[in-house]
Amino acid sequence: MTPKLLERSRLDDLVSILSNDYQVFGPVARKADVSFQEVSSAEMLDLNYTTTTLPPKKFFHLRETLLEYREGEFNAPELDLERSILLFGVHPCDLNAILRMDRLLSKEFVDLYYLRRRENSAIVALNCTEVGENCFCASLGTGPAIDKGFDLLLTDLGDSYLVEVGTLRGQRMIEDLNLEDASQADLRKKEELLEAARAKFKKSIRMEGLAEVAAESPDHEVWTLIGESGGLAGCFPCLSCGNCSLVCPTCYCYEVADIPDITLRAGVRRRELDSCQLLEYAKVAMGHNFRPDRKSRVRHWMTCKFGGAGGGLESSCVGCGRCIHSCPAHIDLTEVAKALWGE
Amino acid sequence: MAKLRCGFFKFTGCAGCQMEILRLEEEFPRLLELIDIAYWPMVTTRGWEGDLDVAFVEGSVSTPRELREIKEIRERSKVVVALGECALTGCIPSIRNFMLQREAEKRVYDHPLWIESIAVRGLDVYIEVDIHLPGCPPHRNTILEVIKGAALGRDPYLRRHSVCIECKLKDNGCLLTDEGRPCMGPLINAGCGAICPSLNRVCEGCYGPMSATNASSHAQILKEIGLSEADIRRKFRKYAGWTPDFRREAE
Repeated sequence: MTPKLLERSRLDDLVSILSNDYQVFGPVARKADVSFQEVSSAEMLDLNYTTTTLPPKKFFHLRETLLEYREGEFNAPELDLERSILLFGVHPCDLNAILRMDRLLSKEFVDLYYLRRRENSAIVALNCTEVGENCFCASLGTGPAIDKGFDLLLTDLGDSYLVEVGTLRGQRMIEDLNLEDASQADLRKKEELLEAARAKFKKSIRMEGLAEVAAESPDHEVWTLIGESGGLAGCFPCLSCGNCSLVCPTCYCYEVADIPDITLRAGVRRRELDSCQLLEYAKVAMGHNFRPDRKSRVRHWMTCKFGGAGGGLESSCVGCGRCIHSCPAHIDLTEVAKALWGE
Repeated sequence: MAKLRCGFFKFTGCAGCQMEILRLEEEFPRLLELIDIAYWPMVTTRGWEGDLDVAFVEGSVSTPRELREIKEIRERSKVVVALGECALTGCIPSIRNFMLQREAEKRVYDHPLWIESIAVRGLDVYIEVDIHLPGCPPHRNTILEVIKGAALGRDPYLRRHSVCIECKLKDNGCLLTDEGRPCMGPLINAGCGAICPSLNRVCEGCYGPMSATNASSHAQILKEIGLSEADIRRKFRKYAGWTPDFRREAE
């Protein structure tokens, strides 16, 4: 389908049409951050945002009641959504992360809880024409533009948005708006803006082969510097607080627990996101912990983000920069990569 | 299922942890189907007789009498629960440990020679504690979890990770990294549900050190955002200054 043009002033028309069929969530500016929140008008959106505190995984894989039990019987609860959700303004890095999580959680181990939330969701993506100070998606090919995974894709051309359609559902979203076709000049402008964005990145990472380099360097001094003492490129040693993995759009590890009610005869089995940076994460039966020291935990997380752990490339970094921003100690994945490469 | 014979003891502290149990208003009648209150001076005049399945001990040890009593409690209880930060770390009263005993006594009492007082310490300095329930006071749900765990004969499910995890699970913005405010969250035990940061207040640390703290790194971070050395010392001293985790930064 030919790309369309949506005048900026009509953005609200789009949001209100989407609100008819979906519960719409988009980036909303808060006191000092941006968060995906429910929106009822375009006015509430902050589409110039660079990043959000939590990635869109908060809608798919944050906390879940897996089953409810009572007197030996159990059942999985119904999906707690009144309507399908629509995520508006998802950046390419985050959409790439969603696509990876889709693949990871639908292979040998099919995560029905995740997939039913995904099946009840739609995505209006937004290409990045501005770049955040911690962004490095360009060096990973996960941004600043995307060409898959969305129902609609917006690119901010200034006075208007270029609207590209990814699915039949996306086509239906805009059919009542009677948008005019975008011109060749509009498409050229999109490419120019994205090219300009690519030139704005301050951070980058050389990822190909990095997992192998990390795996071959378990005793590299960089792990001591960030895990124990010294720091690297102005950072302090890791706090083991777990912020990096909670905000990472590809970190999926979770913890499961049974929570009995006061009768002890009924209760729920719940899961919530966990973090390999926490001491208890690698604690196994009889109390043994196979990653008791901070250095081995931080090395494990970084190696996973380089594509070298159980999730393979599906849990690897998309360059959103959230771990850098949310780290109280300023640990920077791209600096660690440089050190491993000997740069 | 036989009811658990429970005792509730108060040592040096403010009684807020016991109050928190009483605040289980809705669940309290059901709770009494799980436990027998064998001893609880705040609730009943009944004296302590016989052995206990679970002893909840609130407060720190700070007198010779308490020292004798905690050993007796240990001897007569299957499970000893350190209920709240005073019992775990000495908490706010442990600030006293940073000055000479006689100076502390002189500040409060007209006749300090009458006082029998020793350094403020958590219970496990003196006895083996089975369950550490952090918080000043512990959240009602974690108290319930301890009782449910004891009734089921399993360890309670108490996570020892940072407050940051709870903030992120609630999608809170970060007071430390977004706003440069001196939040102690990255060092502090979760369990409160990140109450303070959710209300735009920095974590003061009332749940004590989490399981894998890096206090010296956080002290450097606090310095970087502009806290004076004296303020950093106060931050670490306030709730758990006498713990091995925080003591170096609290001195």
